[in-house]
Amino acid sequence: MKASYAFIRELLPALTASPRELSDAFTFAGLEVEGLSEFGAASVECVVVAVLSKRPHPTKDKLALVTVDLGEGKTQEVVCGAPNVPEPGGLVVLAPLGAHLPAAAGGKGMTMARRDVAGVPSEGMLCSESELGLSDSGEGILVLPANLADPGTRLSDAIPSSHDHVFEINVTANRPDALGHVGLAREAAALYDLPFAMPSLAAVLAETAGAAGGVIGDVVRIQVEDAAGCPHYGAAAITGVSVHASPLNVRYRLAALGVRSISNVVDVTNLAMLGYGHPMHAFDLDRLGGMIVVRRAKAGEKLATLDGVERTLDAGDLVIADAEKPIALAGVMGGATTEVHAGTTRVLFECAYFDPRSVRRSARRHGMHTEASHRFERGVDPGDVEEVLAHALATTRALAGGKALDGMLHVRADMPRPQPIKLQRVKMDRLLGVSHDWQAALSLLERLGCTVHGTATDDEAELRPPTHRPDLLRSVDLIEEVARVRGIDSIPAELPPIRASRDVGGREELEREVREAAVSLGLSEAVTFAFLSPEDLANAKAPPAFVGLKNPLAVTQSVMRTRLLPGLLQAVGRARRHGVKDARLFTIGRTYVAPDAAARAKEPVDPAGAWPVDERTSVAAVFVGERPSWLQKPESLDVWDVKGTALELVARATRGVWTATAERLDATVEGAAHLHPRGAARLMARGRQLGTFGPLHPDVLEAFDLTAPVFVLELDLEALRAPLEAADRVVYKPIPRFPASARDVAVVVKDDVLAGAVVDEARRAAGDLGQEVALFDRFTGGSIPEGHTSLALRVVYRAAARTLTDAEVDARHTEVTQALQRAFGGQLR
Amino acid sequence: MSSIDQALADLRAAFPARFAAAETEQALRDENAKILGKKGELTAILKEMGKLPNEERRATGEKVNLLKAEVEKGFEARLAELAKGKRDADLAAPPFDLTLPGRLALPRGHKHPISRVREDVVAIFRQMGFAVHDGPEIELETNNFERLGFPPDHPATDMQDSFWTEDFGGGRTLLRTHTSNIQARAMMGQKPPFAFIAPGAVFRRDDDVTHSPMFHQLEAFVVDRGVSMAHLRGVLSEFAVRLYGPDTPVRLRPSYFPFVEPGAEVDIGCAFCKRPDGTRAGCNVCKHTGWIEILGCGMIHPVVFEQCGIDPEEFTGFALGMGLERVAMLRYDVDDIRLFTENDPRFLEQF
Ligand SMILES: [Zn+2]
Repeated sequence: MKASYAFIRELLPALTASPRELSDAFTFAGLEVEGLSEFGAASVECVVVAVLSKRPHPTKDKLALVTVDLGEGKTQEVVCGAPNVPEPGGLVVLAPLGAHLPAAAGGKGMTMARRDVAGVPSEGMLCSESELGLSDSGEGILVLPANLADPGTRLSDAIPSSHDHVFEINVTANRPDALGHVGLAREAAALYDLPFAMPSLAAVLAETAGAAGGVIGDVVRIQVEDAAGCPHYGAAAITGVSVHASPLNVRYRLAALGVRSISNVVDVTNLAMLGYGHPMHAFDLDRLGGMIVVRRAKAGEKLATLDGVERTLDAGDLVIADAEKPIALAGVMGGATTEVHAGTTRVLFECAYFDPRSVRRSARRHGMHTEASHRFERGVDPGDVEEVLAHALATTRALAGGKALDGMLHVRADMPRPQPIKLQRVKMDRLLGVSHDWQAALSLLERLGCTVHGTATDDEAELRPPTHRPDLLRSVDLIEEVARVRGIDSIPAELPPIRASRDVGGREELEREVREAAVSLGLSEAVTFAFLSPEDLANAKAPPAFVGLKNPLAVTQSVMRTRLLPGLLQAVGRARRHGVKDARLFTIGRTYVAPDAAARAKEPVDPAGAWPVDERTSVAAVFVGERPSWLQKPESLDVWDVKGTALELVARATRGVWTATAERLDATVEGAAHLHPRGAARLMARGRQLGTFGPLHPDVLEAFDLTAPVFVLELDLEALRAPLEAADRVVYKPIPRFPASARDVAVVVKDDVLAGAVVDEARRAAGDLGQEVALFDRFTGGSIPEGHTSLALRVVYRAAARTLTDAEVDARHTEVTQALQRAFGGQLR
Repeated sequence: MSSIDQALADLRAAFPARFAAAETEQALRDENAKILGKKGELTAILKEMGKLPNEERRATGEKVNLLKAEVEKGFEARLAELAKGKRDADLAAPPFDLTLPGRLALPRGHKHPISRVREDVVAIFRQMGFAVHDGPEIELETNNFERLGFPPDHPATDMQDSFWTEDFGGGRTLLRTHTSNIQARAMMGQKPPFAFIAPGAVFRRDDDVTHSPMFHQLEAFVVDRGVSMAHLRGVLSEFAVRLYGPDTPVRLRPSYFPFVEPGAEVDIGCAFCKRPDGTRAGCNVCKHTGWIEILGCGMIHPVVFEQCGIDPEEFTGFALGMGLERVAMLRYDVDDIRLFTENDPRFLEQF
């Protein structure tokens, strides 16, 4: 909210702090000042002058040479291009030589210097409101009302509100009192220990129209049908007003606070709101039909609000109605039919306390957020209704004339008074960890409007909070007041003794292990959104979403993912379109699926409620592009790259405890439809499926607009969270003491023979002496017959307790070669 | 002089030159074999010895062995000379072209900047004795709001504009707007003491340069008998020093969060314009104030304790929370939060 330094000073004349000092004081008391700017800076340097005469410019017919009276007998001639230079005697504003106008020149600012306008020297300029920074309108120069001030008076003296300092305050939701200048002045008084008192309005109320104007109760009747929605409805009326534009002093005050001036009567309500933080409304009394009803709307009722929108009301909306139809949406916005207009002579002012929740619901339902609803939602002061109405009457009389009708109307239900709160010294000191002066604390609370209830002792006191502080409900709220006004920053630092406890959930460490493993395997981590579009899931042949969002920001973020892959595929697609051809990305995140009822039945009941859905932590990776090579022609990645990464990822993430294997997977089964049928595989360990990997199915590539082959890997980390088994440890095996002998064998087999089967057979045949069998060459073409492949194996032989002789090794190796020939009909090479 | 003696004398005279003429190890070995090999010259001489009378044989045998030893010594010497020459030549050869790229079997992998920050912050709190708790991202309304003291329809929830889920049969649920749901769950399930952190993804309906609809928070939570605001301040100061280095001041400004009272926002002395004398020069990161705001905190509101079945007369506690994106944006000078979720490899590979 914007706040005016000058307005605060008017309410608290004893305040001597500068705008900058006050800004810091507010910030460190919890009213965060996010910006401080100067309004009408030029007003201090510009002066009121009177036009003495004007004559045409010798060469330019759009310009005039104006002689002005600067006061004290001084005159000056300036060149002026405005069409509205008044006749002699009219008051205008001169920016003299050296004056700086920050808002002039389209906001770039300018400093007045002697200049030559088409051959005529000019030492100064007659200013428009926009050049002075006082309004957005640039229609000609500012012409002041006659007799406003003597020539030579500074503009900021002639119109005090033309110069101000404006705070931009971020008022938190618990401080509705700070949404008005009275509240800010009261706060400043507490912070600087100054006396604060509102000016008495008794005199205003005494001076009414008397019998001639009538009694308010005779001209309007108020009926509140929903006391819960409107515990207090107050009204006052004034007759004989003249509706016109507000004087400049009011217009500039409003402009400084970002409020548009409408007319003197409407401005009265805005001034009251800006002053008290209590919104009010002005009705044209002659259009009300003598009746105000506060009630819930009938579903489907229509109301044309002041913003020119015709709204269809909901049965939950609280409205102000006349005898037949709604005329305002309570606490949100008035209606067009009873608006104050140029011909209005009798005005009814409304000042009410509306239920915050009711106002909030209506405002949200209609997508409206107004200055009024913002304040009512947070809770206006229920104790200042009469004062606000009196203030409105007084201001109206000053700005629009007229006489108040006798009396006010108040329809009120029992509003609970703020209850006294017990504050204990020892509790305060213990919570803050520091001892504050007790008497100082009590007097500080009194300055904030609390009243001591009964007698305070040295150890405790009962304090009743003021009606303008609905946030003060318990003793901690009072303790916070003491802490924040005394300076929360003065609390000392002391490390707490922390009692050790265990992790809950355990995902953080597992995720860290997996992240380390993936990064060590050359993958880079991505963070993808948990929500995506239903199409994204369909495109990735993933299960449809279990959870949809009611109010997504966009359809592309409307359902919760069941797989991590779509987000990664989109990232890869974007990267490729930007010319990045190689990408190896992984992401760790949750997928959201239907609760597994069987698994949950075994779990103990959670007093905080079971997790609404099953959130499975997963890791997914994508590989696209080329394998790193060194000064050679690079080679494209293939399915064995992802296989190698997949197996190693499991090993590294479990610190070598788990050894995973890869199995071919029927791609038509659930969970693998996104994989290319030739390369679909699943990752197994301990008899459990941990995940899947393989080349992406061409349908999926196409759906994600990917042209190069992409290889993917998905791993369910929940499977890795299985409790450690006894075997889940690395068991030391003695280092071999006797040497090994290696023999190679190459065998030519038909293409459909699996390399793994050949290795397995060799391992079987090598028996107890075979320590290791490794495939080291795979070759087709050349001298190898069509449809065949040559596989070369190295078999390492070793005995645990002795050195093998060459003869023993040769004999066993012969058995291996014969076994391979027998099993696969293979030719030896 | 017998013909054998003559042959031995000739060989003795000739072999040093023959070895010297061998320029490679192979040529030397070939030459050596020509002399000492099975069909070598010395072997041939040895065979001639059989023709000698017995009494001469012994003396000649000694001469042959002597020469054999001489040849072997000469061979070894020349071998060592050749090896030295080779080594000298290698040492004197032109340097390798070390401007060629280095060779690595795998590209380097990169942790996401949010993860880097997260791991650092988690480690700091672990060292201070905090455990780590996790909890659901799709949460019951009550654990996200009511149990934390957010009244229904209160403007405080405006700060946390929520994503509500379609009904799937489990009461009103939403994407959690903070990780504070975990403190509600902890208190519902266990009795104090508590000292844990709760890191994780959270969701709010916001999307601009500094707001992402999904971002990451880390909250620290301590409840025990006698926990005071001075303890909160102690943890904040320790955290600031461990994350940003010694002499990092902490400043509290009162603020409002429904689940704490008193509540405060926390500024930390700018780590990016710190001068050697400990003062701050002011920079763009801190907007020339010397302070950066990175945390919100406060003492747990008694209403929260009551909602979760803990006696506020017996226990007190504090919570502090930070946005990991904000910490990462400050640390890495990232000016658009959306970069964190665009996942451009050219961005990710910088971390
Ligand atoms: Zn800085």
